Amino acid sequence: TRKRQSVICRYPNGRLVLYCKGADTVIYERLVDGNHNLKKRSIDHLEQFGNSGLRTLCLAYKELNNDVYESWNQKFIVAKSSLHDREKKLDEIAEVIENELILIGCTAIEDKLQEGVPSCIEILSKGGIKIWMLTGDKMETAINIAYACNLVNNDMMQFTISSDTDAIREVEDRGDQVQTARYIQGSVKQDLDRYLQDADNFLNNPSRPKLTLIIDGKCLTYALESCLRGKFLRLSLICNAVVCCRVSPLQKAQVTSLVRKGARKITLSIGDGANDVSMIQAAHVGVGISGFEGMQAAMASDFSIAQFRFLSDLLLVHGRWAYLRLCKVITYFFYKNLTFTLTQFWFTFQTGFSGQRFYDDWYQSLYNVIFTALPVVFLGLFDKDVSASLSKRYPELYQEGIRNMYFKWRVVAVWAFFAIYQSLVFYYFTTIASKYGQNSSGKIFGIWDVGTMSFTCVVVTVNIRLLMACDSVTRWHYISVGGSILGWFVFIFIYSSIMTPFDKQENIYYVIYVLTDTFYFYLALLLIPIAALLGDFAYQGLQRWFSPYNYQIIQEIHKDEKDDNRRNESLHIKNDLTPEEATSYAISQLPREKSKHTGFAFDSPGYESFFASEQGIIASHKAWDVARRASMRSRSNKTTT
Amino acid sequence: MEMIHVEEISTSALRSRQISSIHHLRQISFTPKRSKKSEVIYKFTQQNLHACKLSLTPQLVISLFLLMGIIFVPIGFVALHASRSVVEIVNRYDTECMPDEFKSNKVAYIQDISVSKNCTLAIKIPKFMKAPIHIYYQLDNYYQNHRRYVKSRNDKQLQYGLHYIQTSSCMPEEYSNGYPIVPCGLVAWSMFNDTYSFVRHGAPLFINRKNISWKSDRDHKFGEKIFPFNFQNGTLIGGKTLDPTIPLSEQEDLMVWMRASALPSFRKIYGRIEDDLDADEVVFVNIGNNYNTYTFGGKKKLVLSTSNMLLGGKNDFLGLSYITTGFSCIFLAVFFALLHVKNQRPDHDTSHFSWTRKNTIS
Repeated sequence: TRKRQSVICRYPNGRLVLYCKGADTVIYERLVDGNHNLKKRSIDHLEQFGNSGLRTLCLAYKELNNDVYESWNQKFIVAKSSLHDREKKLDEIAEVIENELILIGCTAIEDKLQEGVPSCIEILSKGGIKIWMLTGDKMETAINIAYACNLVNNDMMQFTISSDTDAIREVEDRGDQVQTARYIQGSVKQDLDRYLQDADNFLNNPSRPKLTLIIDGKCLTYALESCLRGKFLRLSLICNAVVCCRVSPLQKAQVTSLVRKGARKITLSIGDGANDVSMIQAAHVGVGISGFEGMQAAMASDFSIAQFRFLSDLLLVHGRWAYLRLCKVITYFFYKNLTFTLTQFWFTFQTGFSGQRFYDDWYQSLYNVIFTALPVVFLGLFDKDVSASLSKRYPELYQEGIRNMYFKWRVVAVWAFFAIYQSLVFYYFTTIASKYGQNSSGKIFGIWDVGTMSFTCVVVTVNIRLLMACDSVTRWHYISVGGSILGWFVFIFIYSSIMTPFDKQENIYYVIYVLTDTFYFYLALLLIPIAALLGDFAYQGLQRWFSPYNYQIIQEIHKDEKDDNRRNESLHIKNDLTPEEATSYAISQLPREKSKHTGFAFDSPGYESFFASEQGIIASHKAWDVARRASMRSRSNKTTT
Repeated sequence: MEMIHVEEISTSALRSRQISSIHHLRQISFTPKRSKKSEVIYKFTQQNLHACKLSLTPQLVISLFLLMGIIFVPIGFVALHASRSVVEIVNRYDTECMPDEFKSNKVAYIQDISVSKNCTLAIKIPKFMKAPIHIYYQLDNYYQNHRRYVKSRNDKQLQYGLHYIQTSSCMPEEYSNGYPIVPCGLVAWSMFNDTYSFVRHGAPLFINRKNISWKSDRDHKFGEKIFPFNFQNGTLIGGKTLDPTIPLSEQEDLMVWMRASALPSFRKIYGRIEDDLDADEVVFVNIGNNYNTYTFGGKKKLVLSTSNMLLGGKNDFLGLSYITTGFSCIFLAVFFALLHVKNQRPDHDTSHFSWTRKNTIS
């Protein structure tokens, strides 16, 4: 990549100047000899800036002769419109004019970390999430930022693979590209092997320090090649933190794909600029921060948040709850249908295997639609095992999702076992208890009476079981559970009192009125759900006692605290702003003045030019460029001159 | 590389907007005010609803179990007592009533019209039986819940009779000799036709054959103006023939039989004896052993049973299950109480977290 951006300007008095800004390495290569003091002072300043974590740029200029420019421009246009090797030709053309520059100086931009980033990263790593930093900054800046945001600290052992060593620079100076590439590849391989050895030695040591891997972009190209990527992946998975500096957007995407496909772990990418779009799309979950650098990252992502620190909320609170709710909903769905279906299964043994149904058609159709549908929706919407603030206070709870604790085969098997037990209770209790004469009249039930009784018990039990499965019960739960049971009774009272012209068999006619006339109905309705749920209730009590989940322990510890629903307040701008902060907040609310400059320090726009596009020749589109250009077009529409 | 003209951006416009906004600073509230309705919607969409957290503390578990035990055990004893107070006599008669010469060819016996099917049994009453005493016939290995059997009826025809002609579900008992059958179907065709009459102290006992079917059947399911037509007229006789002058809504035997039972072993009510029977009495019953259960190995039994108000017939099951459930609840309550006393886990004990446990182990 070019790592620089040049502009040729014509002053009103005819003076032609080439201004160039870029990374210090590339600018310094192209400076004219002389001015050693200025150069040296600038280098010192650059180092200071870099150590303070600022992002640095060098500026240089050059006066141009009109004739030189004209002739160069012709060649430039030709190069722009060439069909083969356009990039190479443009590179060469740029080289022709970007040389003999005079250094102006260097600039540094304070790119402060957002509020709350260090604590967020600390919480996430406590939650068992490994964090990698991929940035386009140079190594010192990147390391500084890593220290600042708590990713790396002095207790950790650092493995550095850099292309900035003296040995490599020496080989580069010799000029032979092929040999340089081979040398760098060899040195990367050596480093990887050495570090892997060290890391393996550390594995046996119980009090091992945490490991950090720092690698820069040039070495990364060789580390991502097929021969070395296995080793790179292994090493990076052993380390607690990985910092990649000077990576291009493509390499960000490549690294993400490497972890996603190679390590087969769930990856999440978070970024805020257009150069992060490919990385966001390469990961399993892409999170975009919408804000100062535009909306490209947010538009390309699966989730978009406003500040980096909201990531901890997204993962530890909402992500965890979503996992919990999903597991509960799925296991509950299987349980309730298994219970319902198995009662009919036991019946087949006593019908001579003829396939006679135990329940009426309408019961079966409406079971999942009316009688048991709504409560599970509320379970999936509102269930919380611990409150939001507690989720963030105990980030280790997140591990339960990582280890898939709530959806193991053991959990499913327990639900299935109780489904079988309950179906046996429903079937045998209702049929055996209904065998002989009822009431003082001694009359006998028929098949549809017994089936309806059993179905009533199923509906009541399955709904009450849902309440037992919830960790937090809102009033909507009560309404939906009560409403479902009530809905069943309303349905059966209406259904058994009508005879439609379409029914050939009035199986259910007057069934419920017959049933409610007997004491058997009430006694069985009291006994059967409780006998069925007895097993579940005892199991839950035993499980909580002998092998509680972590969240259950936390629930017990904090059970006396009032429900903390005020988490949203912390996400708002605080109310107590100083007057200066209030002013700056008010200013930030103003409609933004669109700048005509693009402001990407190390990224140059694609090789499109006004002239080439006039002649109908379009350069190849890169993903981040397209997005950026889309936003630029809107800007240029609104800029007033 | 771009070609642009260097210009100065005027910031005066920006500055003027700055000043006007500061005047509005005091009125800017940083938490937006919401109306009551949108407050409720806000709480719903932000999942911030007021919720009560049910956590199973030991006290709650123990007290719930104890409560259920205390409620269930008495109910169980009451139900069991009610069921035990019922006196029931079951008498299998299909083998008894078989004459010796036909013992090897039962089917021939039952299908031979010329052979007399009368049979007399003596029943000894073990305990005092208070009126009304219900008479049931019990059939075993009779699958009234077979799918093809349950299907083979037409309830519309029971209400509307010959006016209703879409009776295809009744095949093959739909038409006979070209005329429709009312009531059609296998269920009606296979109606039970054994008869019982009782003799006590030499005099016949009156059996009340009315009010043995559910009232809803009489009032709503079987038509008042519908009479049996062309019934049991075919070559195969399945069971009882019906009196064509009595409307369906008064044919109680038919109504009782048409209520298909759930299990392969079932009872159906035959009638009631309105007198008390003393203990150690002997009552003679004349049975007309007409019904063919021999072809499929079914059993026929005659049951005399009193009934109690609570549960009806003699069914210990509900009482026993109440008692069992109640006692297991109490047992579990005691078990948990012992655990709680022995092994009390302090409230704020963080040592049980899996991560602290892992750290202490490793």
